[in-house]
Amino acid sequence: KPSKGCEHFSLYRRRLNKNALFRANAAGEHAALHRQRSLPHRPPLIPLVARMADQNTSGTPAMTEREASRLDKFKQLLAGPNTDLEELRKLSWSGIPRQVRPITWKLLSGYLPANAERRESVLQRKRQEYFGFIQQYYDSRNDEHHQDTYRQIHIDIPRTNPLIPLFQQASVQEIFERILFIWAIRHPASGYVQGINDLVTPFFVVYVFEYIEEEVENFDVSSLQEEALRNIEADSFWCMSKLLDGIQDNYTFAQPGIQRKVKALEELVSRIDESVHRHMQQYEVEYLQFAFRWMNNLLMRELPLRCTIRLWDTYQAEPEGFSHFHLYVCAAFLVRWRKEILEERDFQGLMILLQNLPTMHWGNEEVSVLLAEAYRLKFAFADAPNHYKR
Amino acid sequence: MAGGSVFECKEYLFKVLVIGELGVGKTSIIKRYVHQLFSQHYRATIGVDFALKVINWDSKTLVRLQLWDIAGQERFGNMTRVYYKEAVGAFVVFDVTRGSTFEAVSKWKHDLDSKVKLANGNPIPSVLLANKCDQKKESSNNTALMDNFCKETGFLGWFETSAKDNINVDEAARFLVENILANDKGLPYEESNGDRIKLDQETVAAESKSGCC
Repeated sequence: KPSKGCEHFSLYRRRLNKNALFRANAAGEHAALHRQRSLPHRPPLIPLVARMADQNTSGTPAMTEREASRLDKFKQLLAGPNTDLEELRKLSWSGIPRQVRPITWKLLSGYLPANAERRESVLQRKRQEYFGFIQQYYDSRNDEHHQDTYRQIHIDIPRTNPLIPLFQQASVQEIFERILFIWAIRHPASGYVQGINDLVTPFFVVYVFEYIEEEVENFDVSSLQEEALRNIEADSFWCMSKLLDGIQDNYTFAQPGIQRKVKALEELVSRIDESVHRHMQQYEVEYLQFAFRWMNNLLMRELPLRCTIRLWDTYQAEPEGFSHFHLYVCAAFLVRWRKEILEERDFQGLMILLQNLPTMHWGNEEVSVLLAEAYRLKFAFADAPNHYKR
Repeated sequence: MAGGSVFECKEYLFKVLVIGELGVGKTSIIKRYVHQLFSQHYRATIGVDFALKVINWDSKTLVRLQLWDIAGQERFGNMTRVYYKEAVGAFVVFDVTRGSTFEAVSKWKHDLDSKVKLANGNPIPSVLLANKCDQKKESSNNTALMDNFCKETGFLGWFETSAKDNINVDEAARFLVENILANDKGLPYEESNGDRIKLDQETVAAESKSGCC
């Protein structure tokens, strides 16, 4: 498929040129050195966020008839005085149209009430509450007992989505710092853990879309009204908090939730694809070595941002999507690469593959296939003996 | 290229750790060393990142370095023991512009020595990297102090490095590998005991065909 959006990505073109040079040099090198090129970045051919026919983060491409009819169904459902959340979940499972995604995410996460009349007052109250926290706590970021937390956040923010210009704007980075700092000091059992910074991103991008029509990655937030930006910040904070509430033991000391899920993934894969499992054992690849990141960052490091947004449509529609269904998605994701995995014949080849899976071309279609497979696995293995128990 | 004999060529595979506080430049050092690249745009490492550097050490020796880039926050995750397993060398990195990252060096070194040892029970050889030296403000001479610190803490030595300006990265790596090789007493892996990673026979054959000798 051709990729729209490349043209406004001079950044990518520069990287492309650099990479082309690099490749030319590397081509002359010894064949044994081949493995050294462990894909330092995903090849920059396609923008990280936008692409043709992608409605998650780009502008508004022409809709197909089917998409238009889906959007109508959402609009009908959302128009009533009381939104039927069960119906909304069913409809959302296979993806939420961009135009209604902000409100749908807020409803599915439980941030907004089903009762339409109450929504405005809830929003007002929650936004005030958040900015109350800021007033109360944010000055303490340089106090002795909080400065380590703040410094870590401050180091990680510029390198969150480093290639998307939206996130290089000072006012956006300040928003992320506030959200993460407030969350961290209100959750002392975990505090700030690397990876949580990534989890703010999808909310922020989706909620920016409530206010703009154009594509988001080069959007200049200073053109938004201050009020709008404040709303985006507060809404992102609360929705991220809801998400983290469900997976908090991923981020407490020793990260027990992640340890448990990585073990569960290993156990699951050993039953759904024995040859992949045995292949990894043969070359002594441990699941923790690659799947830790899959759990800690909810696959955000393995997929383009547009795919994460689509994935989260389903995670919010699925009961315990982030805490439980994610495991089946990880299993489906691993097995998706079985051919490539089985072709690798040593430890380093496997590790470099598993840490650099080639998903940069992925869009909604690939995510939908992945989700369907995960759903099948969940059913096929839910009642099997030795099944992963939560 | 052709004509090298499998039997004349010694191959080594070493697992080397790169540890230190978050944001000190561990990933940048590895990318510089392995890919000859520098970017401001690396994301924070989560868990562990893996890279491989193949070194034509001399006409008869091929060294393959597995570089394990451990997340700076990993002491919190409590999984360093898993990641350190079977390592035979380490870099501990700090950022010369942030004193607190130097203070953490001893903690990392202690974490390392308490969780991984050579087969003979000695600590694994480790080298201290004072990174971002291109940004160093004062030109004070800390050589004696640093030498002393290394002696007390059990580092083989230290280097001022800059991944950005490509200063001393290759030198530091060569220094560490020399020491690892010395520990190995000149035995290629197949003849020494099992404290290192197994070489896959097919790979050995394939890479020897393309010839390190």
